[in-house]
Amino acid sequence: MGLFETAAAKALASSGVFLFMTVLLIAAAKRTSTCIALFSLQSLVLTAQIIAMSRMHHSTEGFVIAVMVLTVKVVAIPYALYRIVEELKAPRDVSSSTSSSQSVFIAAGLILLSFFAVRPYAGVLGGDQAMLAASVALVLTGGFLMISRKKALMQVVGLLVLDNGIFLAALTTTFGMPLVIEIGIVFDLLMGVFLMGLFVFRIRDTFNHVDVSKLRRLRG
Amino acid sequence: MVLLLTLFIPLAGVLFVFLCRQPHVVVRAALTTGALEIAAIGVTVYSIHSHGVLNAGQYLRADGLTSFFLINLGLISALVLVYSSGYLRHVPEGRFSSLRWFYGLVFLFLFTMVTVYLSANLGMMWISVEATTLASALLVGFYNTEGAVEAGWKYLIVCTVGIAFALFGTIALYLAAVKGGVSPQSALDWGTLMAAAPSLVGGRELLKLAFVFVAVGYGTKVGFVPMHSWLPDAHAEAPSPISALLSAVLLNCAMYALLRFDAITSRAIGSGFSHTLLLIFGGVSLAVASLLMIVQRDLKRLLAYSSIEHMGIVAIGIGLGGALGLYGALLHTFNHSIAKTFLFVTAGNVQGKFGTLRMERIRGMASSLPWTGGALILGGLAITGMPPFGLFVSELMILTAAFSTAHYFIAVLMLAAISVVFGALLHHFQPMLMGKPEDVRVPTTLRASEVTVMGVCALCLVVLGLHIPAAFAAVLRGAMAVLQP
Repeated sequence: MGLFETAAAKALASSGVFLFMTVLLIAAAKRTSTCIALFSLQSLVLTAQIIAMSRMHHSTEGFVIAVMVLTVKVVAIPYALYRIVEELKAPRDVSSSTSSSQSVFIAAGLILLSFFAVRPYAGVLGGDQAMLAASVALVLTGGFLMISRKKALMQVVGLLVLDNGIFLAALTTTFGMPLVIEIGIVFDLLMGVFLMGLFVFRIRDTFNHVDVSKLRRLRG
Repeated sequence: MVLLLTLFIPLAGVLFVFLCRQPHVVVRAALTTGALEIAAIGVTVYSIHSHGVLNAGQYLRADGLTSFFLINLGLISALVLVYSSGYLRHVPEGRFSSLRWFYGLVFLFLFTMVTVYLSANLGMMWISVEATTLASALLVGFYNTEGAVEAGWKYLIVCTVGIAFALFGTIALYLAAVKGGVSPQSALDWGTLMAAAPSLVGGRELLKLAFVFVAVGYGTKVGFVPMHSWLPDAHAEAPSPISALLSAVLLNCAMYALLRFDAITSRAIGSGFSHTLLLIFGGVSLAVASLLMIVQRDLKRLLAYSSIEHMGIVAIGIGLGGALGLYGALLHTFNHSIAKTFLFVTAGNVQGKFGTLRMERIRGMASSLPWTGGALILGGLAITGMPPFGLFVSELMILTAAFSTAHYFIAVLMLAAISVVFGALLHHFQPMLMGKPEDVRVPTTLRASEVTVMGVCALCLVVLGLHIPAAFAAVLRGAMAVLQP
């Protein structure tokens, strides 16, 4: 095993820890823009992981996917979201229904839960157990963010975190799907975020706020 | 070749519509594209039945099941396009809401749904199902009112999250296939998976996990309770032709994806697990939706809950399995599509005449709007499964399947729910028809486009209720042969 491969394997082993950290920080963050930056960081860890894995598996497809993730999830989407925050001129806090410290505790609980959740499957699925737990943790915290944060944009961030989790699951268990499919999935995500951004502006123009917990007209 | 045509005519339609300037030219362009698409679908269906499975490249494939669902899509989209030509008279001007945007988005929506049906690859199918959400979200929010924006947002978020779970399920199935010895490049290919399914039995736990996630994911899009929250809002706030498309084509599209996964899972590990899950989802959806129909106040929300109820019945039919259950389920998707299109068109007329969909404000339709009122009765009888309409036949088949496989609880639940729905519709429709009209308006005559659409729907419902034409029965058998080889 060459030096680069060893470095790649080490990076892979420790990236789970980085992912858990971003999850906890997003839970703690009080401003939407911080959350967006943290999401970008999280995607950067994912990109590093993809590069490390494709180095280990000697696959060129992996590098294409890495470049795609880097441009879309690390640069394009966070930049677009950041611009939306600027344009909206709305209060920038995340307006959570749980306090910052409560959120961190809940996120930590979810991380513990995900370690228990993947234990029975670790044998079947193969792959690193910590990495599988990280992917489940991302899915769970993404869901938690979507439920607890009231700002429309934070729901988008939650969705993106959730999506990162599913991406990570695919990466660790199967080392990605065929390239065409991966491209399609990322393209869908990009379009989805574009549309959600559009709807955030529509919500602001129609209701004069972006607090989705106040959208209660349609019930039952 | 013909598959490519079927796929790309709607996409060409998007361009075509945007190139036109005059409103009446836009409508004409849309109708022409629609007619071309119907012709392409007709040729596809014909070649499937003369040549068997059609393939175009690695990613496009059409078999008997595709053919059945394409007929459904072709018929309903034709009706919707004809109806829209008369419906969209006063379009609110605004960003993304003009006549051109309406037709452009409708064709984009049709394109994504045709892609779902023609996908050979489960990954591509996932991408297309997600794309259907994206293409239709702006149509749901078309009117730009508070309700429409809220419904559009909810639709976008709920369905995207739901579909994300389906992606997880797809990945799990892919993993099971790769571990079972299928080559990674073709491990998402439906034909390959179906052929290799019996050898995947080693990944039992993984396949179960995959099906749970897929059922929740695509189930969100089908409208299974408790993931149904987007459905009534989207159906009620969208323009009526779009409500018809959502209810009569989109829900079937998601059901189609579930059918494909169910077939692989059943073949690999036996039908017990996946069918039980479908029975549970179907039963819960049926029970909850039928009860919620009693308390609705908005006509289109009522119809939306009825869609959930009927998707529940279809899921029960698939879950009961066997030749009769599946035949009934497929026939029921078709019947439901026609009946629901008929009812949404009627609801559109009611809204046009009364300016509201609040049922307590709609009174005296029997005297002021005899034709629309009559259509409401006819549609109500058809949707509750009264003879001589098609839904009676398919519901009877599913019930027979339930009794013959000794699923007595499901059978009783279904009978009870259907009675509740009948009561609910009677409770809502009776005052709307018979009550005293609050403000008397001059009854306007029906447009030719509306009469055409309603006439075709009524005719189809009665024909399917009395006798299933031999050609259509052959299509149904072809679809079943794909799922139960």
